[in-house]
Amino acid sequence: MKNRLLKLWHQDGTRSVMASVLSILAGLVAGSLIILIVGICNPTLGLKSVWDGVRLIFGGLFATGRNAAGALTFGFNPASVGNMLFRATPLILTGLSVAVAFKTGLFNIGAPGQYLAGTAATLFIALSIPSSVVPPQIIWFLAFFGGMLAGALWGAIPGMLKSLLNINEVLACIMTNWIAANLVTWVFDISNLKNVVENTKSGYIYKTTFNNVATSKLGLDLIFHDSQVNGGIVVAAILAIIVYIILTRTTFGYQLKACGSNRFAARYAGIKDKRNIVLSMAIAGSLAGAAGSLYYLSGNTEFFWSTYQSLPATGFNGIPVALLAANHPIGVIFTGMFMSMLDISGLQMTNLTAYNEYITDVIIAVIVYLSAFSLLIKTLLGHRRAHKTDAPLKNPDPDGTQADSKADGKEALKA
Amino acid sequence: MDNAPDYVIEMLHITKEFPGIKANDDITLQLRRGEIHALLGENGAGKSTLMSVLFGLYQPEAGVIKKDGKEVQINDPNDATALHIGMVHQHFKLIDVFTVLDNIILGAEDTRYGFLSRRAAREKVLALSDRYGLKVDLDAKIEDITVGMQQRVEILKMLYRDNEVLIFDEPTAVLTPQEIEELMEIMRGLTREGKSILFISHKLNEIMEVSDRVTVLRKGRYVGTVDTATTTQEELSRMMVGRPVQLVVEKGPARPAEPVLKVEDLRVPSRLYKHDAVKNVSFTARAGEIVCIAGIDGNGQTDLVYALTGLEKPSGGKITLCGHDITHAPIRDRSDAGMSHIPEDRHKHGLILDFTLEQNLVLQRFEEPQFQRHGFIRFDETRKYAEKLIEQFDVRSGQGPVTIARSMSGGNQQKAIVAREIDRDKPLIVAVQPTRGLDVGAIEYIHGELVKLRDEGKAVLLVSLELEEVMNLSDRILVMYEGEIVGEFDPRQTTVEELGLYMAGAKRQEVTQA
Repeated sequence: MKNRLLKLWHQDGTRSVMASVLSILAGLVAGSLIILIVGICNPTLGLKSVWDGVRLIFGGLFATGRNAAGALTFGFNPASVGNMLFRATPLILTGLSVAVAFKTGLFNIGAPGQYLAGTAATLFIALSIPSSVVPPQIIWFLAFFGGMLAGALWGAIPGMLKSLLNINEVLACIMTNWIAANLVTWVFDISNLKNVVENTKSGYIYKTTFNNVATSKLGLDLIFHDSQVNGGIVVAAILAIIVYIILTRTTFGYQLKACGSNRFAARYAGIKDKRNIVLSMAIAGSLAGAAGSLYYLSGNTEFFWSTYQSLPATGFNGIPVALLAANHPIGVIFTGMFMSMLDISGLQMTNLTAYNEYITDVIIAVIVYLSAFSLLIKTLLGHRRAHKTDAPLKNPDPDGTQADSKADGKEALKA
Repeated sequence: MDNAPDYVIEMLHITKEFPGIKANDDITLQLRRGEIHALLGENGAGKSTLMSVLFGLYQPEAGVIKKDGKEVQINDPNDATALHIGMVHQHFKLIDVFTVLDNIILGAEDTRYGFLSRRAAREKVLALSDRYGLKVDLDAKIEDITVGMQQRVEILKMLYRDNEVLIFDEPTAVLTPQEIEELMEIMRGLTREGKSILFISHKLNEIMEVSDRVTVLRKGRYVGTVDTATTTQEELSRMMVGRPVQLVVEKGPARPAEPVLKVEDLRVPSRLYKHDAVKNVSFTARAGEIVCIAGIDGNGQTDLVYALTGLEKPSGGKITLCGHDITHAPIRDRSDAGMSHIPEDRHKHGLILDFTLEQNLVLQRFEEPQFQRHGFIRFDETRKYAEKLIEQFDVRSGQGPVTIARSMSGGNQQKAIVAREIDRDKPLIVAVQPTRGLDVGAIEYIHGELVKLRDEGKAVLLVSLELEEVMNLSDRILVMYEGEIVGEFDPRQTTVEELGLYMAGAKRQEVTQA
């Protein structure tokens, strides 16, 4: 048993998970500290509020309100869990988007633009095809795949610039983000969808339910009643599993990883590295497109079409989601859920205490900051272990060990 | 030990164990003051581990280290530095964008009111470079100077820190023959000034030429220490490998048959300069012969190979492989037409270091039906194939097929590449410096394999910088100088000196196409 535990500890994956868990804990502790400082400095709050706030940071998802005595109660809160799943859906997908690109050695900072492209295509399809003629289920599929396709095209642009003209994909992605933001505004501005308003709101596009198109709830609303949850989370999980299978089991994934790991060796072996860069970015784009698509196909969300002033945060949040998961597609499911859980904690904080939800932004910021260091933390964990057992990291080959342990830290930083 | 020689470093009965392996088993190494002491052993014999112990990177389970006769405890590299032990690593630890001077003083800078003061440092470095004949341009950036000069910077770094024990870890692996000559001269100069040198190598001719004594390790054990003057290359290689080694390749006469590779008027643009790196080169490689392209590094050999293998686009000329025009064909098509390629740079092109050994062994073949079904990798077949190659070519690694390539020793990485390329069974094999950095046993093995391929009726195009290898192995020698083929020779009818004249551009003949 002890041996098995030791073996588990020696695995690379274990170290990745540990590094992420440490980043998360550090973020939560930092949030708690801010709660403490704000609480002490603010005469209306006091230590009792601090204690409430800290408990909400760690367990906001399970807060059920306050009892008659005014104390916080905790338990299974179906609405919170359901909303967490709903908000996790786009995060998981943008996280996947970033992770896939990372595996091919590319930094996809263009998820916001791809997300917008996917959103726009989805809304146009979902609202333009009359559901009186075409069954809404078919419109849903058209809208979803249209969104993915739009995202893929938008992702392929920086991919092509990179592979054909060797333009850094980060630069190209940032530019295509803003082009998307303006293009989407313009497209809706000249369309006749922009005036479809509900109540007194203006500047929003109608919910897709206006055309009877919405993602099936798949019975999830029965478990998590009063929440916005729908089948989107299932679609996201399935996509994560598909990405995982592509990356680990297929020759296509092998090629992508080969290009990401050593472009020169891949080229030497006759792998078409340029084609793979474009494909990788297109896949990344399609996932970010799917994120926008699923979010707005839910039926409870309205799109503010005048997007030219800002980029959707969901796109950027894919980066920490992927980093925290160490770019593991299955890990992304969990880190995506965790990030959306923080959102819920923030909401509960606003609802139940005098603190506001922006505290959770601080937590997210700390975690993002540390997750960038998670590779370093991982390396530190590895070194500590190496010292403890006084053994080389991976191999008993005496001539290789020295170079390996030295390379380990450097490589990790480089990656 | 009263009238014992003056030892500057003694490593007595060092034992260092890793899980499952004794990397050093009761090894004793005594370095006399002012001598060049060679440490000889195959890849994996424990040389690097022993040096890591001396450097404080590992703590030995048993044994003591003495400096100037006094027992010392070396816990980390800082302790080693404090004891004036310095090392030139095989892969230099220099910052490319810094100047030579800044690299030398890095970590030992003089400061004045918190500002860097280079003046005194410059004088000290200049004095050192004068004294030891280490010519460098102090204001050049590392990225702009040659590998040989970078090595001199590394040596100056050690001297600047007043090190008296200098460890050279396979210093000649990256150097041209001329630079090796210069290095030997520098090393002799250093010992004349009282420095003691530990010289890690597995190149016997260099050890014979420069060292005073040799300590031989084999599979983690101490084999013996001998005076260089009283030993021979054959004796040393027998000690190192544990059996007599064929230093000269044994091969029968070549029986060249039909042409496999035909190169006509090939021109390749230079990556750095305006002129062509390869200028109107024509030659033919026939089935059943080893054609060798000799020359000093940087005379267009690399560009020629890149153009042949598809890594670079030629600007003119024609390449025909087994009757197919492959001048502009993608790499995969060249491979299919019948070319395999042992690349010059095994880390850049040959391997994906973060992949496992088995993943690397199918680098070109993963799409063949044997290894995939409907786009899904057949892991069991890949494993079986990897195990077969590992067994057949004796590739040694920590965890077999699942070993990460990065953690393997250089010799075994090269063996893995050779195994992969030979097993692809193509009519033409392009081998670029296939034995660079390898030990005698591995060299003997790879040379034997190349001759075997020739005898099976394959065409072998060998590119080598080592004249000994060129003379030994080839059936026909083409000398390249400044992008042109300046001479064609039969190794039985020429000498190293003659080749040298052509390689240096002092002589040339008009080559009629073979």
